[in-house]
Amino acid sequence: MDKVTSAVRLPKDRSIRKGKWIGARVERVEDPRFLTGAAKFVADLELPRMLHAVFVRSPHAHARIISIDKSILPGLGETTFVFTGEDMRDVPPLIDVVTLETLLKTPQHSLALGKVRFAGEAVAVVTHTDRYVAEDLAELLGGGIEYEILEPVANVAAAGKAEAELLHPDIGTNEVYRETETHGDVEGAFEAADQTFSLHFHHNRYEAAPMETRGVLANYERPDSQLTVWSSTQMPHFLGSIIAGKLSLSNQRVRVIAPEVGGGFGQKMCTSPEEIVIPWVALQLGRPVRWIEDRREHLLSATHAKEQFVNLEVAVKTDGKILGIKGEFIGDGGGYSFNTESALIEPALAAKAFPGPYRLETYQETVAASLTNKSPAAAYRGVGWTACNAAREIVIDEVARGLGIDPADMRRINMLNADELPYKSITGQIYDSGSYKESLDKALEAIEYPMFRAEQKRLREKGRYLGVGISSYVEQTAWGSDSSAQAGTPLPSHDNSTVTMDPGGKVTIGTSVSGHGQGHETSLAQVAADGLGIDIADVRVLHGDTLTSPYGLGTYASRSAVIGGATVARASADVREQVLRVAGRMFEVSPEDLLIEDGIISVAGAPSLSKTMAEVAFAAYWDGSLRDDEPGESHQPLLSSTRFYDPPATYSNGCVVVLTEVDTDTGVVRLDRIVVVEDCGTVINPMIVDGQVHGAIMQGIGGALLEHLIYDEDGQPLTTTYMDYLVPTAMGMPNMEVHHLETPSPFSIGGIKGMGEGGQVAAPAAVANAVADALAPFGARITHFPLSPDNILRMIGKIE
Amino acid sequence: MATAKHAVEFIVNGEPADTLVEARRTLADVLREDLDLTGTKLGCEHGVCGACTVIVDGRATRSCLMFAVQADGCEITTVEGLDVEGKLDFVQRAFTENHGLQCGFCTPGVLMSVHSFLKDNPNPTEEEIRIELSGNICRCTGYQNIVKSIAAAAASR
Repeated sequence: MDKVTSAVRLPKDRSIRKGKWIGARVERVEDPRFLTGAAKFVADLELPRMLHAVFVRSPHAHARIISIDKSILPGLGETTFVFTGEDMRDVPPLIDVVTLETLLKTPQHSLALGKVRFAGEAVAVVTHTDRYVAEDLAELLGGGIEYEILEPVANVAAAGKAEAELLHPDIGTNEVYRETETHGDVEGAFEAADQTFSLHFHHNRYEAAPMETRGVLANYERPDSQLTVWSSTQMPHFLGSIIAGKLSLSNQRVRVIAPEVGGGFGQKMCTSPEEIVIPWVALQLGRPVRWIEDRREHLLSATHAKEQFVNLEVAVKTDGKILGIKGEFIGDGGGYSFNTESALIEPALAAKAFPGPYRLETYQETVAASLTNKSPAAAYRGVGWTACNAAREIVIDEVARGLGIDPADMRRINMLNADELPYKSITGQIYDSGSYKESLDKALEAIEYPMFRAEQKRLREKGRYLGVGISSYVEQTAWGSDSSAQAGTPLPSHDNSTVTMDPGGKVTIGTSVSGHGQGHETSLAQVAADGLGIDIADVRVLHGDTLTSPYGLGTYASRSAVIGGATVARASADVREQVLRVAGRMFEVSPEDLLIEDGIISVAGAPSLSKTMAEVAFAAYWDGSLRDDEPGESHQPLLSSTRFYDPPATYSNGCVVVLTEVDTDTGVVRLDRIVVVEDCGTVINPMIVDGQVHGAIMQGIGGALLEHLIYDEDGQPLTTTYMDYLVPTAMGMPNMEVHHLETPSPFSIGGIKGMGEGGQVAAPAAVANAVADALAPFGARITHFPLSPDNILRMIGKIE
Repeated sequence: MATAKHAVEFIVNGEPADTLVEARRTLADVLREDLDLTGTKLGCEHGVCGACTVIVDGRATRSCLMFAVQADGCEITTVEGLDVEGKLDFVQRAFTENHGLQCGFCTPGVLMSVHSFLKDNPNPTEEEIRIELSGNICRCTGYQNIVKSIAAAAASR
């Protein structure tokens, strides 16, 4: 075993049983309830005596709260209840759990206490039985709040000024982190270089904007001291632990249910302060309380993402070989270094993933994060890897243009070969396997690259500007203890699935992964069906409710196929063994002589000796003669197993190539073709994988061309409705052409890798490079997103 | 803070319904809360995202931008009116066969929009589908499989 592989902790047996289901394009079992309107999201749930909660939010970006006059509200204490940060002052604030010594912490009270740090921060919550009246009351109360306005810190540059107001005076600075790590002889690399290139890139602030905004329904039943919380969350068990901790309850008495969740994309993984406030209010009032965020509130106060300044210097040889890179990654963290993952979710992850699919042997990374008066930055599909990939792929193209080398060749010169993997990158990321050159080649083959270049030349002579943009990516997946540590923000974890077969031979699975559109009820059923030799119609997957699912960390960071898949496969294998032990006793043969196919258990070589799964299961439960109490080989009547998995990091990869035409009169970018090559190892359901690729690419395109959260110099948000914050629609988009390679992971169970973020990681760079390529005759350089028409026109000097 | 209430009645999914509402109460809220038809979703409440689309007197309508009193006497179809005792209709079938939904939140609005425009244009081109669909935002699917589902639905007729 090579040195790299031996460094990874691996279970000996990593195989899973694959039959007719894994790899099959199976229609989703969960679809009918969504198609018929029967699926219930938080806003669809109602309880008797329920109160509607509305938050009063700060209109100021930075201010001290002087007073809140509750007395102006009619019916106070009778039909109207109001709570402020002062009322909640004994509830511990939310905080990040990243274990980096020099990272300064910024505790966040769930309702602002003493001061507000972004326009939209919640300062009070009002309840009433009528939601419309509750909104009226909230507006009324807003008028009764006195603030002392403080100088806003509008952006990172302002945050660093000596005279800047401090958002958190306790820590004495607005910069919560700044560290530099040097790998290899970087200075030597720059001395040996034939040329150096630099890029200063500002990645835009945008956000997940799931179709379903956030929402929380909480009910406290005093007789049982039972708190039940329904939240549109990606991490029900984790949220339950956080709520229990903050509200001084035992985990045992806190049940969290993620009902249907209408998209999360990472934004619903960290704890929203509202997820503490609403349960706390329910506790005070002993009755159900429900808050449903509206879209304006969402654009204002849900977490934001992606905004980074990436400053790069690249040392190269004339032949295109990259000798070394210096990179500075600065995150605009917003008003708080947000709970769970901190403001480093952007810059630290960017810095550690920067080498990507390339052989980078010297590298200096500076990671920094600043506080500003904006809604806090937190996870969003692709996290810091989007800005990292964008900056890296853009600079590679610039270097290629500068050296007169074809950008595809520039990549090939520096790319790792498949047979070099497993490979430990200079930042300590262990790439298990991959197809970097192969996916690049396949993408370029799909667009007929040489022909495109000829066409591009021909049309340029006619004053039309076509461009091709390449973006190669490596995507870290299967976030567990290993991945999070390799990513730069260690967070130890494990997950579980329980597989149980009932006396009728049907299977119910409780899993800790928590679907919100990914089709886990189908893909995990496929894994169990193959593991047990039954039909997926006989498998039911339960998730999202802490009462019926075992403990785990939920779904984010592309972990559920690997972790859900592995835990279900392992637990299914156990149950299969239990079933065969029972059947063996029924047939009086060794379990090794038995086969299972399509729910029929038969003796190998004697197919007439067979029983149905239902018959064997029934016998297991009810036939006392088949049980025995011998330790070790004992047969238990209840057919069930719970297995955990904390996976090694796995790395998917691919290549996105975009063809564009830029209208140099209007600045409009038209995407002509989008080609994606995706390699995520062993595939469970290719239909679901393609759907994830489509969605991720579209969100990446949104970030590159349209989506932008804008604040003015006073920290006032200017994009608070869908009229201002533009998201992609169906119109004007070409179909995405998705190709697959399948390079299994040598590390994970079943060779499964995660996927789902690659498109958002890689697409912005592909769009940027296509635009830069199209506008190369103008010497245009991409310095910031989005590539809106006015940005384009400025790039080519048509407007100031 | 009591305000006057108005009696309104509609035919919803073929059945008569009536309720008392304040003038400012939206049709979406009345459908969802007064009539317990929670299939219709609210994604923005300012008329952009299309999740609240229902059919009112034969026309696709943003129920978040309509007051319930404006719909008094109208015939309304919501997503709950599409399936027949659990049997999916031709559009719903096409969506599940073509993976036209992921989280499902935009889906009811999309299905109602689709029904509306397939009535006017039963054999749309892909470009026409994309234009008609541009009034419904989806964040999960990238639209591709929704377009495919709609084309399949049209072809299945």
